[in-house]
Amino acid sequence: MLRYFLRRVALTVPTFVALMFVTFVAIRLVPGDPVEVRTGERGISPERLAIARHELGLDRPVWQQFGDYVWNLLHGDFGTSLVTNEKVATEFLTLFPATVELSLAAMLLAVLIGVPAGTIAAVRRGSAFDHTVMGASVIGFSMPIFWWGLLLIMLVSERLGLTPVSGRIDLIAFYIEPITGFLLIDSLLVDQPGAFLSALHHLVLPAIVLGTIPLAVVARITRSSMLEVLSEDYVRTARAKGLSPLRVVGLHALRNALIPVITSIGLQVGTLLAGAVLTETIFSWPGVGKWLIEGIGRRDYPALQGGIMLISTMVILVNLGVDVLYGAINPRLRHGR
Amino acid sequence: MKRTFATGAATLLAMLALGIGAVEAKTLVYCSEGSPENFTPALNTTGTSFDAARPVYNQLVEFERGTTKVVPGLAEKWDISEDGLTITFHLRKGVKFHSGVNGFKPTRDLNADDVLFSFDRQAKADHPYHKISNGKYDYFADMEMAESTESLTKTDDHTVVMKLKAPNAPMLANLAMDFMTIQSAEYAAFLQKAGKMEQFDQIPVGTGPYQFVAYQKDAVIRYKAFAPYFGGKAPIDDLVFAITPDPTARLAKLKKGECHVMIAPRPADLAEIRADTNLNLMNQPGLNIGYLSFQVTKPPLDKKEVRQALSMAIDKASILKEVYQGAGQPAKNLIPPTIWSYNDKIVDYPYDPEKAKAMLAAAGVTTPIKMDLWWMPVQRPYNPNAKRAAEMMQSDLAKIGVETELKSYEWGEYRKRLQNGEHLLGQLGWTGDNGDPDNFFFLLGCNAEGKPAGQNLSKWCNKDFNDKLAKARTLSSIKERTKLYEEMQVIAHDEAPQFPIAHSVVFEPTRKEVVGYKISPFGRHEFYGVDLK
Repeated sequence: MLRYFLRRVALTVPTFVALMFVTFVAIRLVPGDPVEVRTGERGISPERLAIARHELGLDRPVWQQFGDYVWNLLHGDFGTSLVTNEKVATEFLTLFPATVELSLAAMLLAVLIGVPAGTIAAVRRGSAFDHTVMGASVIGFSMPIFWWGLLLIMLVSERLGLTPVSGRIDLIAFYIEPITGFLLIDSLLVDQPGAFLSALHHLVLPAIVLGTIPLAVVARITRSSMLEVLSEDYVRTARAKGLSPLRVVGLHALRNALIPVITSIGLQVGTLLAGAVLTETIFSWPGVGKWLIEGIGRRDYPALQGGIMLISTMVILVNLGVDVLYGAINPRLRHGR
Repeated sequence: MKRTFATGAATLLAMLALGIGAVEAKTLVYCSEGSPENFTPALNTTGTSFDAARPVYNQLVEFERGTTKVVPGLAEKWDISEDGLTITFHLRKGVKFHSGVNGFKPTRDLNADDVLFSFDRQAKADHPYHKISNGKYDYFADMEMAESTESLTKTDDHTVVMKLKAPNAPMLANLAMDFMTIQSAEYAAFLQKAGKMEQFDQIPVGTGPYQFVAYQKDAVIRYKAFAPYFGGKAPIDDLVFAITPDPTARLAKLKKGECHVMIAPRPADLAEIRADTNLNLMNQPGLNIGYLSFQVTKPPLDKKEVRQALSMAIDKASILKEVYQGAGQPAKNLIPPTIWSYNDKIVDYPYDPEKAKAMLAAAGVTTPIKMDLWWMPVQRPYNPNAKRAAEMMQSDLAKIGVETELKSYEWGEYRKRLQNGEHLLGQLGWTGDNGDPDNFFFLLGCNAEGKPAGQNLSKWCNKDFNDKLAKARTLSSIKERTKLYEEMQVIAHDEAPQFPIAHSVVFEPTRKEVVGYKISPFGRHEFYGVDLK
């Protein structure tokens, strides 16, 4: 098990190196530098442009900038934002809990609905329920998030008045200083009755929007994986033993059918973060997705480099975790074959 | 047991009494667009950052809310010397700074040191705060503050004297701009002593109507009314900026009452807003101009008849309809009608392709003729879609035999090349800084040797126009200046160095219960003086 784990860790190293290089280069290929994009119609004199570039270290050779960037990264320094002058890691950590809270809620929704739906669809293959689930999952998977979010706001919030439009909490009624950054937790730590419910209420719509695509994926994978498992010999054996259908499916089949589902959840962390960019913008959700988009507009190189590195690290770690978990569930893997 | 009951009853009574006495706190929520970079306007260039700092601060002189008129601020009056070279400011007495923000308790009222601190931080490279927060003072440089001032000194605690290198009529308007915000020298010293100088720009302490409470990036900014404010306590007790980047979500929040005022609605939503009985829709032409520059040093644009012909060939009304979607006002002058000295007697060139064609022929231009037509790669307030505008101009110009090739570059490069005069026909625009006509007319200005200044994209130098421009700068009488500017507009119209396209119209929806809100020609969002009914 340890060897398996170490090998998986070692495999992430080249990924990190490639990432450092790609983020650094890609951002610099976008035309316009941080000084120029800030300038309006008046323009900027060549002298002031040169001074500003020098102060930001943009006039040094690119390989030297890259060297510094890697060196600082190895020392755990992600740089300082050119726009707000705050440490990139600090800004990231301030905003990241909001993204995690939203992503977890979305994933929870996807699993809680997707797994049962996929399982029932598999067991009742060919039924009306099966067709409905499969049809809905095609629609869900191809849902344009931005459109979907705005539609739900107009319908659910505006027309039906069931949920708040955007934000994380009712700003008039509550004022919560961040403690952990996770509002669902912070709202319970302070003595403001109703704050938790308000935070939960605000989370519903964005979680549905962000969870739609993962939900479709989870439902489909659960169904196909379940179908495969249900045709296995041991399931027939279990049935032959006279176990109730619920025990056969729920206990014997589901455990094995979930393996590919868990892998897919790991892979979907990336999808979630990409979806978070749009969802956060629509719902004014103060997370890292929106922050990165702004960073591109402002050519905030350190924020972008640092932000993407940090997010990628999370994605890699989650996938590593999933692989390890997978190893735990599937003994064949941990024995190194 | 008895005692407990008695205490309980007493508490209950006290609470009831308080409840009767207390009036419910009024909270106004403004749905803003984004997060400020920090809270020191001198360091920033975006309206979002200025709006966030404004509730906290004052300037020496200020723009009257909803106008471009300069009125007393922290200076209750000022005198300008005969020669126009000295301005003496008399500071208001008894102005309090906010207390209790970031552990800071002011021990004194506003005085001349605060004014000097705020100016010197930007002007002097060796000032202890000059380099803090990356120390870029774009507006201070752009408005040429260092170049135009000789010195700023105090003669006593409440008198500040500004000496100018040359008479400079727009200077007062410059001082009313956000970058000349007056901050607390005592707070700066307090933080310097604590070794936390960078907090000066992140946790603001000012003299303004609202005291800063908290800021959560990308989520919310909170302020509370500052009772000892020299202008009187604001009617709104709590002011909240709900940062809401998506315009559709902003409107939905406004309609549901989750906010009271919102920034920048989508043009497509205007009809819906007008139809909503809970909302008010205010509008005003913005302090801006979108134009097409004719590079007059390149033939055939060196002939004024050709420029006039092109001005008649472009269908302005269609561009306004399609590109501005109704959120624009046709422009006939370089300055928008909200600025004093706007010459409304000017009659715009009519859209008349036939006459344009005849004028081209009369000017000796053989058609078809090829020209380049540039469009900027960014969306600007004065021109929401320069590419579409260029395409429409292209098809209009084709009708009189002018075949245009559309060109564009990355924004920085685009600006640079236009300023070098590499174009024949080039779109750009301007957003006014301080509401002074000079702040627009300098765009067509030339230096003493008759060479076009950097911003003069058309490279048009007209002696008469320039003499008047220079003269107006030295006069302090608005009446005399107005006369000169009106004459300059006649010259610019006749010479047609540029084709004015439009002034964008700014729309601001508020909820009906909001009273006293005024839309600002500068695109500011100001909440002192606003109330909820």
